Amino acid sequence: MKLLEYQGKKLFAANGIPIPQGKVVTNALEAVEAAEQLGGDIVLKVQVPAEGRGKAGGIKFVDNSFHVHSEAGRLFKMNMEEFSIEKLLVEERLDIVEEIYMGLVVDINTGEIIFLFSPEGGVNIEQIVAGRPEKVYRLPVDPLSLPPVYQLRRFIRRGGFHGKVLEGLTGIAEKLLHLFFAYDLLMAEINPLVILPDNQIVALDAKVEVDDNALSRQKFEKKFWEERDQLEKEARGIGVTYIKLDGSIGVVGSGAGLAMATMDMLEDRGFPPANFLETGGGITEELMYNTLRLVCKNGNVTGVVINIYGGVNPIEKGAKGIVRFIRERGTPPIVVKALGNKQEECWETLREGGITVINSVKTEDAVESLLELIDARKVQAKTSGKGMM
Amino acid sequence: MSILLDRNTRAIVQGITGRIGSVQTNWMLEYGTRLVAGITPGRGGEIVHGLPVYDDVYEAVEKHGANASVMFVPGVFLRNAVLEAIDAGIKLIVAIPEHVPLHDVLQMKSAAEKKGVWLLGPNTPGIISPGIGKLGIMPGNMFTEGKMGIISRSGTLSYELAGILNEAGLGQSTVIGVGGDPVVGSRMIKILQEFEADPQTEAVIIVGEIGGSSEEEAADFIKEMAKPVIAYIAGRTAPSGRRMGHAGAIISRRGQGTVQGKIKALDMAGALIAKKPSDVAGLLKGCLK
Repeated sequence: MKLLEYQGKKLFAANGIPIPQGKVVTNALEAVEAAEQLGGDIVLKVQVPAEGRGKAGGIKFVDNSFHVHSEAGRLFKMNMEEFSIEKLLVEERLDIVEEIYMGLVVDINTGEIIFLFSPEGGVNIEQIVAGRPEKVYRLPVDPLSLPPVYQLRRFIRRGGFHGKVLEGLTGIAEKLLHLFFAYDLLMAEINPLVILPDNQIVALDAKVEVDDNALSRQKFEKKFWEERDQLEKEARGIGVTYIKLDGSIGVVGSGAGLAMATMDMLEDRGFPPANFLETGGGITEELMYNTLRLVCKNGNVTGVVINIYGGVNPIEKGAKGIVRFIRERGTPPIVVKALGNKQEECWETLREGGITVINSVKTEDAVESLLELIDARKVQAKTSGKGMM
Repeated sequence: MSILLDRNTRAIVQGITGRIGSVQTNWMLEYGTRLVAGITPGRGGEIVHGLPVYDDVYEAVEKHGANASVMFVPGVFLRNAVLEAIDAGIKLIVAIPEHVPLHDVLQMKSAAEKKGVWLLGPNTPGIISPGIGKLGIMPGNMFTEGKMGIISRSGTLSYELAGILNEAGLGQSTVIGVGGDPVVGSRMIKILQEFEADPQTEAVIIVGEIGGSSEEEAADFIKEMAKPVIAYIAGRTAPSGRRMGHAGAIISRRGQGTVQGKIKALDMAGALIAKKPSDVAGLLKGCLK
């Protein structure tokens, strides 16, 4: 779960990392009020979990409070990626001496936590990473023991900092590390972290991502899921992972790899998938029924391939959910490839329910069978249509 | 011979009294796996499917010489269970649960690496050496004894591959799920080295997927291997930048981990590339003669 900037900043402030003064607003009038309270020049920032807000025009510097209403109004009408703008952060504008990058990320390839620091932060950090990687310092952090403060100080000193600023930066590094571990973060990034004329250090942005798998032991509001689609939201409620795609064939897999392999084969046959859906290891009759309802809510779906294995999943129970769905709805054409523990029981239930069962180990057999079924239904629809006339 | 799980393996089940733990223990025993005990803190003294239950791993190691463990504890409790097993001297740990917090995975991985412990998972179907036993949730009927090694990032695709090999008359020496999470306990390249050294294994099949760089890393070793390697990579049609389930299928920000990139690295290292799982059988027959 990615936190919105203002949520990330709240977390920073609560843990001793200074942030600018600001206020979250939900309409242009509130923005004007907030600007008046703050006084002076301000900045308006859209609050969406999208990348590159600045470059997409979602961050506006407003010199004169006279323009706040119109600028805020325009931002509220924007769309960024698939997100509409529901909140703006109105912030004081600070006089900046230097922009720094500081972040903690997990390198998924090595399983290391990396503390990243660059004396040249700001909007062009990606160019710096690509063009002058020597300007980005990396400190691997052992997940079993935090680095002592003197190691952090020495590390940050490589950026050419001394005295009060070095001490300030070291303090923030320590707090960021603490946050990262205490809140089960996948990423904590401050870009830019700025130095003010009086040597104060302030976090101008906050990119914070919390591990969904740790939410049960953390207390974040679960409001800001990253789903870009209503169906993706519903999927979370059912307990499956769903991503909507552009094609016409629904896919249900009991594992991510199997679901992706099925999608790849559909694409190769010229029938692109309508979705990615992985049930994980929690199949029940109810889950399967709800899963099919969800997949078929997408109006583009003309048929569904279900590809499941009985390892930890009771496929014989899932079969009942499939049969119930088809009994109620009649359509669309569905084929089920199901193998593993209790496969015979599963097949019997499906066949009794009139559902096409594929007991081959080849996913392409299921794909072919579904395409034939869809064709046959088309022919059937045509001939019955003619008979009516 | 087989790798990691062989005739010397004496395994325990951590979380044996849970719903899934108990059911799966029964399947593992039916398959012929040598399980020696189960662990559930607070339930010591009970018997589950004929196995003694202990309160901690240390007791099972002392009394039964246990050297492997398969975990069916809830995701948020996995870290402590794994750290305990490592401390107790267990050498092969199969971490089945999904939805494990990433920080916990990082800690388990770090501890396992320091002690030279094989940690498979989390989010793995486990390991099966057909004819010897299985530690995990894979359906036993999908596998047959033979000479093919399989390393898979996807549980379900490893079943599919084994099924396809069976039809072609090619059994398996050992099939290993490394786990579907973004970070997993053991590197693909290390397992590949074990297969290369195993006298029973004649060829290795890698089942990879979009995201991460374990296939690219494995390619470095494939260059030096004497045994043929066949690779299938899923996820060509997966949208970039999105997370495909809780799988490790994330394309990292720097554009690494694409299916094309992986295929290129594996191809250049001399692996044969299968466009779909069922192509693997034909490719294998071609290089085994």
